Amino acid sequence: MAAVTQEKQYTPSLLSFFVYNPSFGPREGEEEKKILFYHPSEVEKNEKIRNVGLCEAIVQFTRTFCPTKPVKSLHTQKNRQFFFEPEDSFWIVMIVRNPMVEKPNKDGKPPTIEYQEEEVLDTVYGAVLRQCYSMYKLFNGTFGRAMEAGGVELLIPKLEKFFYRYLQTLHLQSCDLLDVFSGISFFPLDKMTYLKIQSFVNRVEENLRLVKYTAFLYNDQLIWSGLEQDDMRILYKYLTTSLFPRHSEPELAGRDCALRPEVSGNLLHYGRFLTGPANLKDPEAKFRFPRIFVHTEDGSEELHLIVYKAMSAAVCFMISASVELTRDFCERLDALVGPQLTLLASDICEQFTLNRRISGPDKEPQFKFIYFNHMNLAEKSTIHMRKTASVSLTSVHPDLMKILGDINCDFARVDEDEEVIVKAMTDYWVVGKKSDQRELYVILNQKNANLIEVNEEVKRLCATQFNNIFFLD
Amino acid sequence: MSEEHYLELCENPVQFEHASSVNNVFFDEANKQVFAVRSGGATGVVVKGPDDKKSIAFRMDDKGEVKCIKFSIGNKILAVQRTSKSVDFINFIPEYPHTEFSQECKMKNASVLGFCWTNWNEIVFITDQGIELYQVFPDKRSVKLVKSQSLSVNWYQYCPETAVLLLSTSGQGNVLQPFVFRNGTLSKMTKFEIELPVVPKPAKLSLSERDIAMATIYGQPYVMYLKHHSRTANSPSAEVVLYHLPREGACKKSHVLKLNTTGKFALNIVDNLVVVHHQSTQTSLIYDIHLREPDCALNTHQPVLPARSIHPYRIPLTGPVVVPSQPPVPCQLYSSSWSVFQPDIIISASEGYLWYLQVKLPPTVNLQQDKGKLMDFLLRRRDCKMVILSVCSQILDGGERGSLPVVATVFDKLNQVYKEYLEAEQMYTLAMESGPSRNSAAQKRPVRTQAVIDQSDMYTHVLSSFTERKGVCHKFIIAVLMEYIRSLNQSQITVQHYLYELVIKTLVQHNRFYMLHQFLQYHVLSDSKPLACLLLSLESTYPPAHQLSLDMLKRLSTANDEIVEVLLSKQQVLGALRFIRSVGSHDNVSARKFLDAAQQSGDRMLFYTVFRSFQQRNQRLRGNPAFNPGEHCEEHVVHFKQLFGEQSLMKAATV
Amino acid sequence: MEGDVHSKGRASWDLGNLPHVEHLRIERPDSPTPDLVEGTEPGAGQQAAMFVHSRSVEDLTTEADRDAESRVEPQPVADGDPGSCETLGTSENGLQVEEKIIEVVQAPKESSWAESRTKEEDICSDGWRSHRKHVFVLSEAGKPIYSRYGTEEALSSTMGVMMALVSFVEADRNIIRSIHADGYNVVFLSKSPLVLVAVSRTCQSDKELVRELQYIYYQIVSLLTLTQLNHIFQHKQNYDLRRLLSGSEHLIDNLLRQLDRDPGLLLSAVTCLPLPSSYRDAVSASLQAAKAESLVFSILLAGERLVTLVRKKDQFLHHMDLHLVFNLVCSSSSSFREGEGWTPICLPKFNSAGFFHAHISYLEPASELCLILVSTDREDFFSLSDCKHRFLERLRKRNAYQALKEAVKTPSYSVDQVGILELRHFLYKSKSSGLFTSPELPGVYQSEEEQERLMGLYQELHSRLHHSTRPLLSIYRCGETENLMAWLTSGFELYLCLTPLVTKVQAVTAVNKLLKWIRKEEDRLFILSPLTY
Repeated sequence: MAAVTQEKQYTPSLLSFFVYNPSFGPREGEEEKKILFYHPSEVEKNEKIRNVGLCEAIVQFTRTFCPTKPVKSLHTQKNRQFFFEPEDSFWIVMIVRNPMVEKPNKDGKPPTIEYQEEEVLDTVYGAVLRQCYSMYKLFNGTFGRAMEAGGVELLIPKLEKFFYRYLQTLHLQSCDLLDVFSGISFFPLDKMTYLKIQSFVNRVEENLRLVKYTAFLYNDQLIWSGLEQDDMRILYKYLTTSLFPRHSEPELAGRDCALRPEVSGNLLHYGRFLTGPANLKDPEAKFRFPRIFVHTEDGSEELHLIVYKAMSAAVCFMISASVELTRDFCERLDALVGPQLTLLASDICEQFTLNRRISGPDKEPQFKFIYFNHMNLAEKSTIHMRKTASVSLTSVHPDLMKILGDINCDFARVDEDEEVIVKAMTDYWVVGKKSDQRELYVILNQKNANLIEVNEEVKRLCATQFNNIFFLD
Repeated sequence: MSEEHYLELCENPVQFEHASSVNNVFFDEANKQVFAVRSGGATGVVVKGPDDKKSIAFRMDDKGEVKCIKFSIGNKILAVQRTSKSVDFINFIPEYPHTEFSQECKMKNASVLGFCWTNWNEIVFITDQGIELYQVFPDKRSVKLVKSQSLSVNWYQYCPETAVLLLSTSGQGNVLQPFVFRNGTLSKMTKFEIELPVVPKPAKLSLSERDIAMATIYGQPYVMYLKHHSRTANSPSAEVVLYHLPREGACKKSHVLKLNTTGKFALNIVDNLVVVHHQSTQTSLIYDIHLREPDCALNTHQPVLPARSIHPYRIPLTGPVVVPSQPPVPCQLYSSSWSVFQPDIIISASEGYLWYLQVKLPPTVNLQQDKGKLMDFLLRRRDCKMVILSVCSQILDGGERGSLPVVATVFDKLNQVYKEYLEAEQMYTLAMESGPSRNSAAQKRPVRTQAVIDQSDMYTHVLSSFTERKGVCHKFIIAVLMEYIRSLNQSQITVQHYLYELVIKTLVQHNRFYMLHQFLQYHVLSDSKPLACLLLSLESTYPPAHQLSLDMLKRLSTANDEIVEVLLSKQQVLGALRFIRSVGSHDNVSARKFLDAAQQSGDRMLFYTVFRSFQQRNQRLRGNPAFNPGEHCEEHVVHFKQLFGEQSLMKAATV
Repeated sequence: MEGDVHSKGRASWDLGNLPHVEHLRIERPDSPTPDLVEGTEPGAGQQAAMFVHSRSVEDLTTEADRDAESRVEPQPVADGDPGSCETLGTSENGLQVEEKIIEVVQAPKESSWAESRTKEEDICSDGWRSHRKHVFVLSEAGKPIYSRYGTEEALSSTMGVMMALVSFVEADRNIIRSIHADGYNVVFLSKSPLVLVAVSRTCQSDKELVRELQYIYYQIVSLLTLTQLNHIFQHKQNYDLRRLLSGSEHLIDNLLRQLDRDPGLLLSAVTCLPLPSSYRDAVSASLQAAKAESLVFSILLAGERLVTLVRKKDQFLHHMDLHLVFNLVCSSSSSFREGEGWTPICLPKFNSAGFFHAHISYLEPASELCLILVSTDREDFFSLSDCKHRFLERLRKRNAYQALKEAVKTPSYSVDQVGILELRHFLYKSKSSGLFTSPELPGVYQSEEEQERLMGLYQELHSRLHHSTRPLLSIYRCGETENLMAWLTSGFELYLCLTPLVTKVQAVTAVNKLLKWIRKEEDRLFILSPLTY
């Protein structure tokens, strides 16, 4: 290895991504009709048809072994191909190229390429694919809905419009276990402040009857959701990986407190709209907000998504799309929410810093861990730096992350409690713990520790971080 | 209209023969007794009061017009003033002689303005030249001067409650000299001056006793001065000025009640409210000196409620000649023949009635729109509980339901009082524990007034019915419950679990499970075994409840047995055993329980594992893998043999 | 793993390469240490091991021809050289061979009826779908060659699709590896001119499944030689290979069964009949004495366990070849019981181009003991038959024979003998000797599904330890049915199955206790002094 002069390493990358429905072009020569979206679009027609054909063939083939559970992924030397049928006979396929190493050869021979076939984890990218659909559904509703509304003529442009932008935001090289969980990070908060937020939300909803659901976040962490879990999950994903980063400015928790006095003094406030009008004063301001679709007992409903932020506190107000949102309404909202939210934000901040002081200054945690609870989607990671729109930086070696992924797969297979402790070649210890619906992964860098010591370490971690929950030992 | 009368005369007034040419009527504030003296007593004296039941009747010789007549405390001795020089005494203690004896005032050519009993046998004469305190010996029929003070007196007022005698001195009469009587002695208090609206030129008596009254409000003695407006001075309307009269130290002006009108007024004190009757408008105003209104200067008060007249009163026709069918006749309120006494007495001599004035709380509810102020007002009243609770239900009800902020303020005010009481209680119990020795004054057990509205009151009278009410949007219900819990937390009151149960019940009813989950996540619903059990019971409808309740049990840290039971009920026998081990009580659990669970699960492997582990335990503890007869595991041994054969049993030999 | 032992280990074997044998004799530590150097771990042979040294499964996945040349040196056996293979490849010779095989292996037809009956099932039935593991072999023309369940005829279209997928992907200069769906995987292995496909509902990794397909592939090669196989298809693209294989499907069937049960195939190692070394040495000696010019290997089996193996100097037998021999013997035992068998056999790992000739016979009709004498000479039947008798005579002279027969009768050993209460079962492989040992399955695991489940668990651990890019040194897993432990050192490979209620402390002590025990028992459980002629 070392001998080889500068070999090139290529990370996994998106080869193609397409949506098709076999029932749309059943007859010979009509195959193109099946294809609803294809990326990259410049691929020439027959190639597209060919690839879609292969997918169909594989789906059919797998049905011979289990009619109800067709293919999820196809492994080949060069790439991985992921299949997902979100709605009846609508298929989404994502093809990811395996990472590879390009080794230059002496005397002008073309470089040899080695594909690293074990690097791409099915669970991770399968999740990424499902997320693509959920995200589409959040902003457009189901494919079926578009079909009813306007048939393929409507659906195709919708897909174009959405995926064209969305696919650019995929960062396949930095996907990992967290994408499998796609969990929600909750903001730790004391009871009293939490209750204050509760009554704030209730009062606003009482005051602005239009508001149907509210969600409250601080520092990009969720505190309250009036939406149901699954909707919140994907909305949270959108907020934290797309909307907030776009509007991010150094609003670090620390600053809020400083603002406190002048705020409480005269009621100037720091509230502003993240969606809709950038500036209320602007006479040209448009009062158009993004529309989202959420589940209801009977199907789904369409809502305006108003995201309003004051310092580090952000609130989502969701209003039935059937009503027209006027300047007047927005001004009322601004006048009502702005001051209260500003105050609340600094309250929260104070509490937060207070608790921090109590719990002692937060030094770099000696434990690197990921925690996830399937019950409430709560997620916690000391491995990841703050997720940004672009990449989620992890502080450990990718191989370790993949080992976590492997363990996670084992856990997924059976719904029994389980614990796995492995020692990797790099002398790192990796611990996976599954208790009831919770999963905990710990990475310890203690080369000479033995199983018993490692176990003690993990016990200590649970005692400090998770003493308030029931973890089978 | 009628439901707006917040003042009323008591149901059963004290009735007496109304004043007439032949019948003089006197009232003694000390004993609250009305004396009807017919023709100077010759034809009889009837004493009634303090209530309609009690009455004393006797005769005495007519020795001239009676100026004043009062029983000593306990009706032992009767004192009658007929002349301006002397007072006569009549024994009312049975065994003592009944014949009168008399006492002249000591000071030369002074004239007696009046007298007051300060005890069963102590009496003070007030003359225009001073006061004289006497002790009366009914057996010897003699009177002994105890103490006297000479100063010129215009008029006097005596407050029996506080045993304070107030003398008007000086030319204008606005310098007031209080004396207090305590166990047989009289002590002079610092005198003070009432500032008059206008200083008359030339000086003349300008403070009339009618404008002064003494009363105790919120346990404090006050001198109330009805300050009439004057065209000259810049006081557009009359006002009542309260002078606080402390036991020690100077008396000083403390409160001003704005009457916002002029005319003839009379004062009463009812339930610590200052009631001002205004004759011309036939209405009354009430003031609460503990209500502070931000919008006016400190200690200046506006009426709590708009002026209303006393509730119309009908006089039931009684007496010898009564035609049953005859309807009661309405009684004329605010009549000029009324005389008003402290604290709450109204007498109509002409009709022969003594009423106690009362405050009716229900009407006030509709007169005060600001629920916050209303609460402040109600919380200070005597019989407020039911009214307050009704207000609570009212603001939650569809009709004139209050907004959440209003609800919040109401809750906060209630809980403030509640909290203060709890703290007092705590202090008390602490003091008790630390030993009742020190400052026994503080040791008084705090009284629980009706204003203390605790969680069970709210639960039973307001919340439980509210949550059941049809057609209320559940959003609002939950919001209200959360507000209440918030408010309790804010005043550091531990919330009772039945409130949490109410929250959970409501959430479950409208299957807002995710909300519930979030609440529990932030420990808004504090941990308790009952709550944990409730959650367990929800598992069938909401599986995550299982996890939530396990967490709770774990946090309680006193519920290890429960945890084991839960796990076993889910046939997580291994989980249970591992848990037991982690809490270190593995060696003293009953094998049988676990073996049963394992056997019921029908899982061979599980049974094998559990059985073997207990065999190992036996081995470890007793050096023999076999079970003791006491453990009652015979059937399990048999079962094990059936499944895996004799040879799989652990032999004592191994190890 | 255990702090102190760890450091001690570091200290003693820092150089990391094989020390001198004599030196070892004294130095062999009685409690193995984490990085116990190869050849010093319990069960390590004293002289160079008798097998082609197998690092781990990886060498299986390397191309057959490549290991052929690397293994067979110096130039192997007269017959085995490529030249003669050509001639062997000519059609009538080919047919000859064909007959030969048939004559030998067709004998036990009756035994293979059992399987052939189960084959008649509807491939659209859930029954067929729900089989734990399907295996298909087809030619590059898409012609069915073998299917574990269901008749090839019924499956011809399915296999057609399989072939189509393979070639479709190849068209992009890409290689299809596997298809994953909920609850089952489809794994492809194309080894021109054959394509092998497994459809598995087990939790095995693709690599494990590929490895199993390798076994099947080599099983077929060992029946025909690669040369002949290539020749046939070059000759006739859509040749129906079943004609050649008919009657020997049961070998594949049996091999597949073994793959689900026998840890040896997982560990790339074989297990020995426990026998006091004195006796074993005696047996080996007698075998060594009974040599012949053309003799390359003499193998004495007790059922599926190795008693001893004597080999020509510098000739190594790959464990896989040995397993194929086992398979041949075990799946057609009845045919060799009466009299002596003489069959050509290709040992693909040794040389996939040519045939050896195996003299197979049981020492006594009733006995489990089976002697296999592998010769390079097609005509040498009688001299080998003679070798056998010489061997028997020598053996009978010594009391070793009695002891041997005793050992065969008594089952292997029970885990209780190790005396660790929490321990239920284990696998221990000595890397250098390519031998492994493991106790009888305890009662709870004896049922077929339990046994396969346990194997499945071992397979999982194995594939994690030997992950091609993320290998692990050790694994500890607490589960609901058992706690498992796997430990890979440069010297050995160890898998433990413990009660799920074991604590980690207990587990760690168990491991060390076990290793001590194995060291104590090694000369009984392993072949420490293999012999050559």
